[in-house]
Amino acid sequence: MTVLTYGVAGWLFLVGLAGIVRSNNVIGVVICLGVVQSSTYVLLLAIGYRTGAKAPILADIPTGTPVVDPVVQALTLTDVVVEATVTAVLLALAVQAHKRFGSLDPDAMTRMRG
Amino acid sequence: MNALAPLIVAVPMLTAALIAVAGRVVGARLAGVLALGATLGCAGLLVAVLVRLHGRIEPVWIGGWHPRDGVALGVSFTLDPLGVGLALFIAVLMALALVYGRGSLDPEPPHVHVLALVFLAGMVGFCLSGDLFNLFVFFELMSVSAFALTAIDVDEGAALEGSLNFAVTNTIGSFLAVIGIALVYARTGALNIAQAGHVFDHGHVDGLVAVALAFIACGFLVKAAVVPFHFWLADAYAVAPAAICIVLAGAMSELGVLGIVRVVFGVFGGPVAAHAEAVRTVLVVAGLATAVLGAVMAYAQDHLKRMLAFVTIGHVGLFLAGVAMLSSAGVGAIAVYVVADGCAKAALFACVGIVQRRLGHVSISALRGAGRDLRWTGAAFVLAAIVSIGLPATGPFLGKALLDDALIHGVGSWAVAIAVGASALTGAVLLSAASCVFLGRGRDEPGAPEYEPLTEPQPSTPVTMWAPVAVLLAAAIAIGVIPGVRHAAHVAGAQATAHGTIVHTVLGDTRAPAVHGSLPAPPAHDWLLSLLTVAIAFALAAYMLRHQRRPLHALRALHSGRVGDYVALLCAGAALFGGAFTLALH
Repeated sequence: MTVLTYGVAGWLFLVGLAGIVRSNNVIGVVICLGVVQSSTYVLLLAIGYRTGAKAPILADIPTGTPVVDPVVQALTLTDVVVEATVTAVLLALAVQAHKRFGSLDPDAMTRMRG
Repeated sequence: MNALAPLIVAVPMLTAALIAVAGRVVGARLAGVLALGATLGCAGLLVAVLVRLHGRIEPVWIGGWHPRDGVALGVSFTLDPLGVGLALFIAVLMALALVYGRGSLDPEPPHVHVLALVFLAGMVGFCLSGDLFNLFVFFELMSVSAFALTAIDVDEGAALEGSLNFAVTNTIGSFLAVIGIALVYARTGALNIAQAGHVFDHGHVDGLVAVALAFIACGFLVKAAVVPFHFWLADAYAVAPAAICIVLAGAMSELGVLGIVRVVFGVFGGPVAAHAEAVRTVLVVAGLATAVLGAVMAYAQDHLKRMLAFVTIGHVGLFLAGVAMLSSAGVGAIAVYVVADGCAKAALFACVGIVQRRLGHVSISALRGAGRDLRWTGAAFVLAAIVSIGLPATGPFLGKALLDDALIHGVGSWAVAIAVGASALTGAVLLSAASCVFLGRGRDEPGAPEYEPLTEPQPSTPVTMWAPVAVLLAAAIAIGVIPGVRHAAHVAGAQATAHGTIVHTVLGDTRAPAVHGSLPAPPAHDWLLSLLTVAIAFALAAYMLRHQRRPLHALRALHSGRVGDYVALLCAGAALFGGAFTLALH
């Protein structure tokens, strides 16, 4: 189970990067960036996972019940917020780029060459 | 101290929120005053903290979650002279940038001020943070606001391209860092730098430690724009408004190097110290390669700001080489060099901003001779260029002399030779560009565009634009002669590199003992070496003005401006560093 989860995290990371490298659309790049970031969610949650443990809502369960690590869940939430911010900024840039260039192809935006 | 430290981040952050909400009501003018006030307030708080810190290390536990029995569960700011000093430098730069930008940045609506304050909060938070995950959060905070600030001139297509490349590569960099941080947590169960460092001191070093180190280091090296992670920087700094460049070039890249300091002396202090020789080799090679590539690529540029961007890359390479010495003297040298060189570079960017305002163009070949009337700007540019090469008795000279000293002790004089060569070439590029633009010297470039302003040239330079240049230049020069700088650098270097002291101080919730002593004054041969570097730079500049610029097709083709290429090279670089760190810690 755990090995598989880490494998999924690694796969998401690499496939997302491959997507960014190959993408010919800025929106595609943004989505692939989201895929790469998903790998960090999976990794964080896998690190805190305990087989057979409960969700860490300590009010509802008897003391001493094993729970999964709440710290990584907090980290994942923070990570999600960060990703939302980055995506928003990138999409705003994409909208502006489409207005200026009439295209979302990164190859059409290489004025900075050399 | 407990009450003051969180305010350093909270003041700019809350003011940003206030301006965001009330900006339209109070108007851009008042928003600008508020932003400047908050920045100066932040700087004032940092001065107070720095004075009370008195050269020690002191943890501040947010919400009063102090460690118990040597276990830290709370989130801390770990105040040390290096971090607080750098944060103060950043706040001062930001204040100057806000003054400088008053005329040139579009004031309505006051988004710029909101973004600038969030950017400031992210950067100072990064300097103070004693917690790995907060390091990541502040890293992202400054990155996201920097993406937006870079693209603030949305009417310029190039600004969007530069910002997109900047955003995508830096976001991947922060993912690398967060993966490394997750691995550190998986192994140690700790996010506090000192706590994780304490666990690594006693556990054995295996593959996971090396991989975690490689991931976090690569994340920060992307921000520092070290080869082969540097591509975004040239694109972004070339298009960002000059006022923003003052802070970007003066301080943001350097924070990547500070991140490396936190990693190699804080979290991984134990494993790195045990394999110091190999880690030093990896980092010094990366640093010197960056210094050389930055200088060579600066030579190949025709766009003034893009040229300065590559100069920035080259200098960051030297900073990394200094940290790579893994010594107190190396980090102390860099503390002086970063501040002094940051002032000089910021002055250069500010001068180019004035050129852009007065002449409406930033292409060197198109501007040939067009800047003859801008005598003062030209003089300031040339002075900043010579100072940044390391003119004796100025700040960059002191930083560079201390760095050379650390390099000789750490790896040998060959590294100094490379550093001197890179400095001389960068200086020559700056000087030849200056004499082309401001004196009309230089060769006839085939196909050079006719000078025709791209934007409406303004007839005058407001005092808000030239005064920051004067202040920055004065600071860059004064750092070399102010008494006590070498003592402060020694204290900053000694405290930031003392792994055992950091762990003991934070987990024991005490204050570290004070450090005495001072870095040595530069000996006579450093003065000679420095004069020699300036002379070589002038000779090279004269040569460049007489000969056609070599096109360097292959190297320039690598800098394709295409984000996919940059990410592919970033992955290759991360794999390379990963392999190198694994071998180094083996």
